[in-house]
Amino acid sequence: MATTTAAVTLTSDLLSDAMSVTASTTCMKAGTTADGLDQLEYAVVEIATGDEYDLICSTPTASKASKLYVKNHSIDETYFVAITQNAQAIGRLYGGDWMFIPADFHDAAGDIAITSNGGTNKIEYALFHEGTALTAT
Amino acid sequence: MATTCTINISSDAAPGFGGISESMTLTQAGTVVDIDNTTGFQRRKLSATAAVDLITMASELIEPKDSVASKVYIRNIGDGKGNIDKSVGVTIGVKAEPIGKLYGGDWMMMPLTCVDTDDVTATPATDDTVVLEFVMFYEEA
Repeated sequence: MATTTAAVTLTSDLLSDAMSVTASTTCMKAGTTADGLDQLEYAVVEIATGDEYDLICSTPTASKASKLYVKNHSIDETYFVAITQNAQAIGRLYGGDWMFIPADFHDAAGDIAITSNGGTNKIEYALFHEGTALTAT
Repeated sequence: MATTCTINISSDAAPGFGGISESMTLTQAGTVVDIDNTTGFQRRKLSATAAVDLITMASELIEPKDSVASKVYIRNIGDGKGNIDKSVGVTIGVKAEPIGKLYGGDWMMMPLTCVDTDDVTATPATDDTVVLEFVMFYEEA
């Protein structure tokens, strides 16, 4: 079994008593307790301002337990990418920001789309999944 | 008043994958100024398959600013009594759009628009008790 683990440490002193949260999870295939995610798509892309693009070019199997990591490596804090799914705005990743989400890819419209703002944004992403629809030549 | 978040991912799914280790300081949009508001750390117990608002944007006591650098952290901690079922999950969504399912023990860190209609929703797959921990960081409108 492949083993993929994702750990997080979140700290904040916004509250009177400082908050510190740590968590770690082993990423399993959907509905299983002993079979880990065993496929990976990992890339770095530069996205120019203008059009909206699908971040994941393959077609992951829908409604599984995929996990998606995205980081905006832009060093200019005014640059950002807007993240949308199925035309629903999710949020923005400014330079230095990252996100880690379960990605449902519920149907053909469920792609994660990305639009660059401010200038060309350098984006790193990793998709841990359990299968994609491959394109026959 | 800094808020920081660090992620470490390791995987042997690909022999050459060296892992990911990154940290970010949550800042206000387009600046290096620290983000300055939070909902505080909360937990929500769910025992039915009906969709619920985890965060109702229009009901926040301090109005969040729209379309900036807000983030939310959510974790499925199981039944809240130490029992974590990796095979059962809760679908997290924004408005009516399902983002993905958090199985027992899974966590997520996601940017948010904080637009009033873009509520964060949670829909358990079963009626077994599940507890979500969450905290949102945002800018005041």
